[in-house]
This record gives sequence, structure tokens and C-alpha cells, in this order.
Amino acid sequence: MSERREHLLDEQQAAAWVEHGMTIALGEPAPMAMVRQIIRRKVRDLTVISSGLALDHLIAAGCVRKTISYYAGGGVGVPVAPSFRRAAERGEIVVWECEEGILTSGLEAAGKGLPFLPWRGGVGTSLPEVNPDLKVFTDPIAGETLIAVPAIKPDIAFVHAAVSDAYGNVQHHGGPGWIDLFLVRAAARTVVQVEQVVSNEAIRGNPWATTIAAADAVVRVPWGAHPFFSRGHYIQDVPFINDYVASAAAAAKHGGDPQLKNYLQHYCHEPVTHADYLERVGLTRLLGLREY
Amino acid sequence: MTGEYTVREQMAAVLARDLQDGELLQVGVAMPVAELAVRLAHLMHGPNMELIFFGGRMNVHHLEYYPIPEYGWDNRVVRWTESYSDRGHRFDQLKDWGRRVFFIGGIQVDQFGNTNLIGIGEDFNKLRFRGPGSVGTPTLSSHVGRYHIVLNDHNSRVLVEQCDFVSTVGWGRGGADARSRLGLPGGGPKWCVTPLCVMDFCEQSKRMRLRSLHRGITVDEVQDNTGFELLIPDAVPSTDPPSVAELDVLRTRVDPDGLLRGT
Repeated sequence: MSERREHLLDEQQAAAWVEHGMTIALGEPAPMAMVRQIIRRKVRDLTVISSGLALDHLIAAGCVRKTISYYAGGGVGVPVAPSFRRAAERGEIVVWECEEGILTSGLEAAGKGLPFLPWRGGVGTSLPEVNPDLKVFTDPIAGETLIAVPAIKPDIAFVHAAVSDAYGNVQHHGGPGWIDLFLVRAAARTVVQVEQVVSNEAIRGNPWATTIAAADAVVRVPWGAHPFFSRGHYIQDVPFINDYVASAAAAAKHGGDPQLKNYLQHYCHEPVTHADYLERVGLTRLLGLREY
Repeated sequence: MTGEYTVREQMAAVLARDLQDGELLQVGVAMPVAELAVRLAHLMHGPNMELIFFGGRMNVHHLEYYPIPEYGWDNRVVRWTESYSDRGHRFDQLKDWGRRVFFIGGIQVDQFGNTNLIGIGEDFNKLRFRGPGSVGTPTLSSHVGRYHIVLNDHNSRVLVEQCDFVSTVGWGRGGADARSRLGLPGGGPKWCVTPLCVMDFCEQSKRMRLRSLHRGITVDEVQDNTGFELLIPDAVPSTDPPSVAELDVLRTRVDPDGLLRGT
């Protein structure tokens, strides 16, 4: 071994790391190219740490057994993500109830190699009742009532970023999504999908900007966050997202609407590569998202 | 009287007047009335307010107009911000949270201002309605100086005697010490603002109390649409309507697209 090992994988190779029953985490913006490939692999019984409509995609595709989510809504006009709501009400998924501070405490505990970390948000609420993994305790220093949040350790964290070199030195445009580094610090392995792979020299030209060092895998997928945004590259595709929500809502209401099946088939199962997906979305649509 | 205005403009105006210059105002996802109230306060009397949307922190007092994001995580919000709490430090600097004012909705709100974003039903594993989850509201409501509950609808399905599940503790099971007994440092909910009225909490019992009625609304109408017995003072004033100046700023600078003017 005399060559430095590159960390570049294509999207199918990286998705092949995901096996039935694993715990995976998705950053924000959601690494949708990888989400689509995971759906395409038809993995089952995943525990998914995620929020919003990316989580909803995986549930709609039947990949999820358990969710660890602080928010499963879709923003304005979508109070609850439709597939999440239906699956939860029908008992098809287990919901590990939490919130932002509890989730990040559990991730920090994993990152720090601790069995738990304490958190105050949630004291007095129903969260410890509906999630028995959260233990209310009296702290031994000041005698305060707090919640012990057990370490949350994903097998793989998937995040989206602007660029990386071939060795997994990642730089974000304007900083990572709020939860991304919590996920990276906690997870056994990290897969970063990027808009562009750049030279090692480019990274070394500004090492201060490196946000994730030595990610385990780097996947080159321009437009890989579509239909969501990628800072400095494109804005979210609101009509596309609305179409997904409408199909998912119809499926949740009627129990398996063909529109949602068609969506998953057309955008997740059939495109073999990310480039195939982009061709289906179309150049005109994509280029329209490049401007503010 | 200032002529025509909508009830949502009334709600925004009444909330805006409670906000003080120098405060940090944090609004969550999908709360247009609160979002526009904050902008109104900022332009009317809050040049030193800081607005926090989706982790971005901004002071836009100098701007004639800035747009409402189309979507929860619209990254175009970032171009108005001066800093961004997205680098894994969202909850690491609670020392200034005493100056923070937060706004919260809920699928249920009870007589002590506890709220529920978890779901509706007797059994957590068989919910009749699964809510979106608590976002960051348990942490925010535990620590911020005060917060307002803002509801899009006022009816007895939302305003219930007791929440099926509690995702944020307002005044627990009541009493002035309800929060201190739990060790919650924040000041708790101050008002509950709805399309019918403004409510606050009795100083001793911390039960919800009618504070003022919006134009054309009666006490009976409020009580009939509330799922618990409200405290009703002998005299209930009308909510101060939006002023000419407030409506002008609202319609020309804060909400030219008319989010608050639709039905």
C-alpha cells in the first residue's frame, strides 16, 4: 500500500452500505440522491433519524420501522407529513418521540462516548411517558430535575455538502445544516454527497473552511439535494415538493393512491443513477432553480 | 376605529404591541400571524430587535420590505441574516434566552396553557391523529423569557380542558409556582391569541382568563367555543384595533402580498 486511499463511491455503491434493520441519519438539506438510492435498494426495517419530507419519502417507500424525528411536518400548509401520519396512526412505524434538544443531546452523548447526557427541555411534558428510553432523574450536582437522554448512535450518517476532495475533506457553502455535525460526530460512518469533487489542493488552499474531515465516503451528485435546496447552488423546487405532498396526502387518505406509487416508481425505483433521475426532472426545471 | 381590517391583522397588531425593543424574537415554522407580528413590531418600534427565523438571525429595520419565505427552509431567508446558528450550536448559548420571545401553536391547548404537538387519542400507540412532533418547543418554552400561544382557530377541539399529550409545559396543573416546581427557568406563556380574543393567565391559579374581545365577538361566543371554563372578569374590554399607522406599515411593508388579508 503506497497510495493514499480515495473515498469516492458512486451512489449505488454508497447505498449498498445500508442493510436491513440499520439506523441511518439524514442531514439537512436532505441528501435526496442517497435517499432515492436507498429506496431503490428496497431495504426494510430501518430506524431513521430525520425530519420532514425526506423522512416521509422513506416511509412512503416502506423502508422504515422506527423514526427518531423532532419534526415530521412539511412547513407551511403541510402540518404533518402525510405518509408519516398514516403509518404512525396505523401502527406501522414506531415513533421514538423526541425534540431538537433531546435529539442533539443523544447524538452528543454518542459522539462523546457517554451512555447519556442530561437535558432540561421536555421536563414536565409527556415525552418521558411516551418514550420510556428518556429517564427523568435528579442531578447529583444541583439536585435539579432533568432528563437523561441515552446515546443515539447511527450506523451511517448521510449529509449533503457543496464540495469534497477525494479523501473526504468536506467544505460547505455557508456552513453545514444545523444538525449535520451532530450526526457526523455520532455516527459510525459518514457518507457525504456533494455538488462537486474538488482537488486536494483546493481544500488545502483553505483548510479553515473544512467542516468534515475524512468522511468515510464521498458521492458526487450535482443537484443531489433536489427537490430541496443546496446553499449557493439552487433553491428548493416548490412545485415539485407540492406534487409529492399531494400524492402522499392522497395515498394516506385513500390507502395507496396510484399517484404516489407512480412518483416512487418514476423518481426513485426506475432511475438507475442520479443522472437518470436528473434527466427525468429535466434541464429546464433544474436551471430555473439556479437563481433567486 | 380605523375602518376595515381583518382579524388576522388584529392578531398581528396586538402581538406586535407586546414586543419590546431589544428583544430577540423567534418564530417557528408555519406561523404567519406571528411572523408578521414580529416584522410589524420591528418596523414600528423595534430598531434593536433581532428576528430569528429558521436559525438565521437578522435585523432588517432598514429594509423597505423583505419577503416571506415560500417554504419552511427557504434558504433565501439567509440573505437577510447577519449570523446563522446552523453550525451545531443552536442550544449552546442560553444566556440570552431571557430576552427571547417565542411563539407557539398547537393541535391542543389546555386551560393552563400546556400545548400538544404529539397527537390526539388515549393511547400513544394508537393515536387518532398523529401530530408533527415537538420540533424545539419543549426546550424553547422551558427557557425563553416569555412566549405567546397563537392559534389560527378558536374552537373546543383545540382549546381543551386537558391535552391528551403535553409537548410544552405552560402552567402544568396550575398555581403560580407550577413552573418553578419543575425547575423551568423561563417565564412561561403570557397570552393566548386567537381569532376571537386575547386570553392571559390568572396570577394565582394560572388558569386561562379572557383579557379582551376582538371586534364583534361576545363573551358567550368565546366561552361556547372553548372546551373548558374560562375565567371571565366582570368587564372585558375590546381588543385595541390596529391603528392607521400599524395598518399602513402592515399593508405596505410587512404584508404587501396580503397573507393576513385573505380569509
